[in-house]
Amino acid sequence: MLLAYRTALASPRVRAAAIEATEFPQLADSMDVWAVPRVVVNGVPQWDGSVPERVFLDRILAPTFA
Amino acid sequence: MAIFRPDDEARVRGVLDALERPVELLVALGPEETPLAGARDVDFGAETVRVAEQLAALSAAVSCRVEDEPPGFDRYPAIAIRPSGEDAGLRYYGLPWGYELGSLVGGVVEAGKLQPSLSEESRERLGSLELDLAIDVFVTPT
Repeated sequence: MLLAYRTALASPRVRAAAIEATEFPQLADSMDVWAVPRVVVNGVPQWDGSVPERVFLDRILAPTFA
Repeated sequence: MAIFRPDDEARVRGVLDALERPVELLVALGPEETPLAGARDVDFGAETVRVAEQLAALSAAVSCRVEDEPPGFDRYPAIAIRPSGEDAGLRYYGLPWGYELGSLVGGVVEAGKLQPSLSEESRERLGSLELDLAIDVFVTPT
C-alpha cells in the first residue's frame, strides 16, 4: 500500500486508494479479490501481493496504461 | 478504547515526530450509515472518526476534520490523507483497523515528507506519464 501512496505523492497524475475489501464486498467481488493486497489500475485487476518498487513501476507503467 | 497499545502508541508518536509538514486527515462519512450484513451493529463511520482523531492526537502536525460528503470520494466511510491540507489523491476507504492501521500511519508519514520517497529513477519514469492512473489496493485488516 505504501508504494501506491508514495507513487501518488510523486506524481499529480496518480491517485492511490486502499480499499478495505470486507467492507465493500460487492466491489471486491467485481474485482475478483481472493487474496490481498490485490492491485487494480484504472478499474482493471492487475496482480496480487507486494512487489519491489521497480517492479511496481514496471507494472503500472506497462503499455496497457502508458 | 485506545486504537494503539501503549508501546505501539509510543512508536507511532516517534515516527510522527519526523513529519516535515502538516498532514490533515479528512474523514468523509457519507450520506448515511449503511449497516453491512453481519456487521453486528458496528458503526463504521463513527469508528473511522475515532481512529482518525486518536491518530491526530498523537502529533501536533496531524489534524482531523470530519465532513459528510466532501467532493472527491467514491464510497464511505473514507479518509483522505492530505499533505499540507491539499488533496494529493490519497484515500483509505473503510475502517482502518488491525494490520491496516499501519497503512494509514504509513500514508501519514509519507504525506508528511517534503520530498517523495520514491527513487530518482522512479520519479523520472513517472514524469513521462501521459495519462492519469487510479491505483486501488484491496486490503483486509488481518
